[in-house]
Amino acid sequence: MQGYARAAALCVLGGANAMNQQQADIVIVGGGGAGLRAAIAAAESNPGLDILLLSKVYPMRSHTVAAEGGCAGVIQAHDSLDAHFDDTVAGGDWLCDQDVVDYFVRHATEENLRLEHWGCPWSRKPDGSINVRAFGGMQIERTWFAADKTGFHILHTLFQTSLKYPGIRRCDEYFCTDLLVEDGHCAGLLAIDMRSGEQTLIAASAVILATGGAARVYRYNTNGGIVTGDGMALAYRQGVPLRDMEFVQYHPTGLPGSGILITEAARGEGGVLTNREGYRYLQDYGLGPETPPGQPQNKQMELGPRDRLSQAFWHEEQAGRTVATERGAAVHLDLRHLGEQHIQERLPFIRDLARTYINVDAVHEPIPVRPTAHYTMGGIQTDRHTATCLPGLYAVGECASVGLHGANRLGSNSLAELSVFGRLAGEQAAERAAQGLAVDPQRLRPQAEAQAAEREALRRANGPERLAVLRDEMAGAMEAGIGIFRVPAQMTATVEKIAELKARYQQLGLKDGSHAFNTEWLQAIELGFLLDVAEAMSHAALARQESRGSHQRPEDFPARNDALFLRHSLARQQQGGATEVSWQDVVITRSAPGERHYGGKATGEAGR
Amino acid sequence: MSDTIELAVTRYRPEQDTQPWEQRYTVPCSDDMSVLDALNYIKDALDPSLSHRWSCRMAICGSCGVMVNGEPKLSCKTFLRDYREAGVLEVRALDNLPVERDLVADISGVVEHIEAVKPWLIRHSEPPVDTAHSQTPAQMARYHAFSQCINCALCYAACPQFGRNPAFLGPAALTLAQRYNLDSRDEGSSERMPWLNAEEGVWSCTFVGYCSEVCPKDVDPASAINRGKVASDINYGVNLFRLLRGKGDA
Amino acid sequence: MRKPWQPQQPRNWWLRNPAYRRYMLREATALPLLLYTLLLLAGIVQFSRGEAAFATWLSWLQTPAGLLLQGIALAAALLHAVTWVALVPKILVIDSDRLRIDPRHVLRAHQLGALAGNLGLIVATLWLLWPTGGA
Ligand SMILES: Cc1cc2nc3c(=O)[nH]c(=O)nc-3n(C[C@H](O)[C@H](O)[C@H](O)COP(=O)(O)OP(=O)(O)OC[C@H]3O[C@@H](n4cnc5c(N)ncnc54)[C@H](O)[C@@H]3O)c2cc1C
Ligand code: SF4
Ligand code: FES
Repeated sequence: MQGYARAAALCVLGGANAMNQQQADIVIVGGGGAGLRAAIAAAESNPGLDILLLSKVYPMRSHTVAAEGGCAGVIQAHDSLDAHFDDTVAGGDWLCDQDVVDYFVRHATEENLRLEHWGCPWSRKPDGSINVRAFGGMQIERTWFAADKTGFHILHTLFQTSLKYPGIRRCDEYFCTDLLVEDGHCAGLLAIDMRSGEQTLIAASAVILATGGAARVYRYNTNGGIVTGDGMALAYRQGVPLRDMEFVQYHPTGLPGSGILITEAARGEGGVLTNREGYRYLQDYGLGPETPPGQPQNKQMELGPRDRLSQAFWHEEQAGRTVATERGAAVHLDLRHLGEQHIQERLPFIRDLARTYINVDAVHEPIPVRPTAHYTMGGIQTDRHTATCLPGLYAVGECASVGLHGANRLGSNSLAELSVFGRLAGEQAAERAAQGLAVDPQRLRPQAEAQAAEREALRRANGPERLAVLRDEMAGAMEAGIGIFRVPAQMTATVEKIAELKARYQQLGLKDGSHAFNTEWLQAIELGFLLDVAEAMSHAALARQESRGSHQRPEDFPARNDALFLRHSLARQQQGGATEVSWQDVVITRSAPGERHYGGKATGEAGR
Repeated sequence: MSDTIELAVTRYRPEQDTQPWEQRYTVPCSDDMSVLDALNYIKDALDPSLSHRWSCRMAICGSCGVMVNGEPKLSCKTFLRDYREAGVLEVRALDNLPVERDLVADISGVVEHIEAVKPWLIRHSEPPVDTAHSQTPAQMARYHAFSQCINCALCYAACPQFGRNPAFLGPAALTLAQRYNLDSRDEGSSERMPWLNAEEGVWSCTFVGYCSEVCPKDVDPASAINRGKVASDINYGVNLFRLLRGKGDA
Repeated sequence: MRKPWQPQQPRNWWLRNPAYRRYMLREATALPLLLYTLLLLAGIVQFSRGEAAFATWLSWLQTPAGLLLQGIALAAALLHAVTWVALVPKILVIDSDRLRIDPRHVLRAHQLGALAGNLGLIVATLWLLWPTGGA
């Protein structure tokens, strides 16, 4: 343990002058689609600004890269903004803010076109025009795609485009640990330069959080290791509410075991789901009548919304009709009837993933799949212009709740959200930065140093608790209590478990006391973030006494209750740490809450 | 068939070590375990002080490149089952790059090279906001493979010319320049040409070709670079011709 | 507090990997070809020095050393041709709106071209040197 002692000594020597200091007009935390789009928008709206893009991974590693299926935007002549609006609001079980949805559908196509102008290789029709594909819950094809690597192409296009703006500079592999608040304004942040382990204070007129989702609170998920809800927790700790956190989307088709995603586009292209008897079970869950294989109908069968499909799996599993695999229960996603050529052209990545990770060639065999945690509909509460209630702090992308997704997100709306609201956030922050509200970094120094000392203490923590153990217990508890179906006893148990884990977190012991690229330390900080997010999720879930969208309580509150819960939940951390849940009205402009129709019933709605 | 396998990991902790050294770990080995799973197992169960990068675990984010038995690999796409015979896996940080710590290579130089070649669509005029450029599937096919690069830097670890001279722009950066040059919507190839022509550009490549062998995304950077040589030659010829006719350099 | 380890490229880097060894072999084919060129050059010099000198040169070609050198040169020439021709489709890509040629055809064309060229040379040589032929 000589090394440990020596590292600790180094740190003491580093002492008071160890903190670096920087200043920028705008600092953006997160180099995913949302953060990059915001940076570009800020640079375009005011080329004189100093924009700092800070990210714990190189931007092109951000999890936007993993999005496969596509990005929504009305483009076909027989489609309409109203139809996109209706699908989104109904898909969200009327918990969407309709003014926000309206703004979104009006700007999505424009943003997709802008990506095209920047070089994004959207898949084309033979005549050279943009091609679109069908997606779950959308009544007309309006999902733009770049084969089955849409997120990858969007992210790389945005990253490469961002390079041409001299106003944008980057801090790659900087890990944000705290927000700095002065006089009730967000005035900057504290970050760790991962390569050296040094703490850096960054003062800025405006801070944009674009840190992505939090599905890593679950055991089986489609998310990358970096998707740990950091931004949500950063805001939550400053008293900013997290909104609608109980709504977590399970994606119906992840690979069993790893949770790696098999995109919905596989169904949009005509793939079908069957149980162990080879029967297309979705017709038993209000999504029928059965459509011929390879001829998918919008909003029917396999193209029903994700919450319904995941719930159907759960029932099949209860009834013992799932397929047993080495890696647990699954159903079959069958693409064979599409033929090798079509699969290779439209779904090459899916074929590669299935071959690599479970040794199944989709051309010859069905792919075993099961629901896995995928997307956090909720997030940091913002107004419809992406501003949080803390002046100077903006949030955008999956970490934010701007009010678009309601109780269930429609696939392909979230990638479009990154551009539409990323741009808005960038412009808003640029406007604020131009007002010259920057705080002298020297004034932030005392609180930054206090927080830095806390982080340092964690690095040297030597309690009895193990990081991996706490993390696995949390993920298991969330899966059990806040999963696809939520039963009261288990929810309560999860709330208690998270509280227990938060207490045990204080007793953590780390083995690695060094500074340089100390990933154990960073993972420990992330676990702290995850626990806060899990806490907000579980409290909000308990408080919402109804079933809506992805939040289903079949035992105690099986129905939707508009009288009481046509409202957003707001989970807030009180001074002293307790979580309180309050409610905020939903903005309804033109679509009164109705029933969600899928399957045969949906066709009556089409074209409305 | 044993159900464990040994990993010989090259460690380097800048605060403690003066040079890299090898540490051995025994990890469980099952058919679906990737090298990344093994590294995460070590981190969680055996030795939390081991540092490595990863995120997506589905071969798309490009974080997790390491040398496995001397070959550059994505650890999330490399499986223990393929090394059962060998019995031991030697894992070290990517070759030809400075090592920040353990398996974490410093890729900032590679990223700078990528930034240098103007990898964005260059147009003399912006099209109207509400229309898309036309691009047929055949036109897209011309650059599509070159747009699949995930910046994992395996090709840099594979390239002896980059190992000799880190200023060489290298496979991924030069491929990216070609990706835009071949895009029917782009009008910027003449702006990128100085980079291709430069000492550190395509002519530093001697067509070893190993970059294309190790590329996990079938990008074929060797082909991109050597097609770049053809373009560079043509550019040279055209310029010479213009010079001879007294029209100056283009 | 950074202290990255700066690796040095080892002198024997090209021995460490089969791909590098293949590459070096391809590059090394230039050597026997150089030797063979020198050999031919020597032949011309001998020829200019008279029949006897040329005859010694010719007989040296038939010694084991001479045969070995020619054998190696032939193998190297073949390897050189095959490996470089195989790379052609990666370098010469004909794909524009006006003209597109399948890379496989580009390869075939070069292979056939190389074959035809070589056969042509052999035939021409035989025809020139055949006792009853051109001479
Ligand atoms: C497998 C998968 C497939 C998907 N497919 C689709 C699809 O087909 N269509 C669709 O519309 N949506 C899809 N989604 C959803 C969509 O991709 C995401 O919601 C979206 O990409 C999130 O983007 P983001 O910019 O908000 O965050 P991310 O891309 O996750 O980026 C977060 C950024 O924040 C940084 N960061 C986080 N914490 C910190 C910190 N503490 N300090 C510094 N930096 C930090 C990270 O480094 C990263 O750069 C999919 C999601 C997944 C997981
Ligand atoms: S060209 Fe291939 S090996 Fe090189 S960085 Fe890109 S994906 Fe990786
Ligand atoms: S973890 Fe993303 S490429 Fe391997």
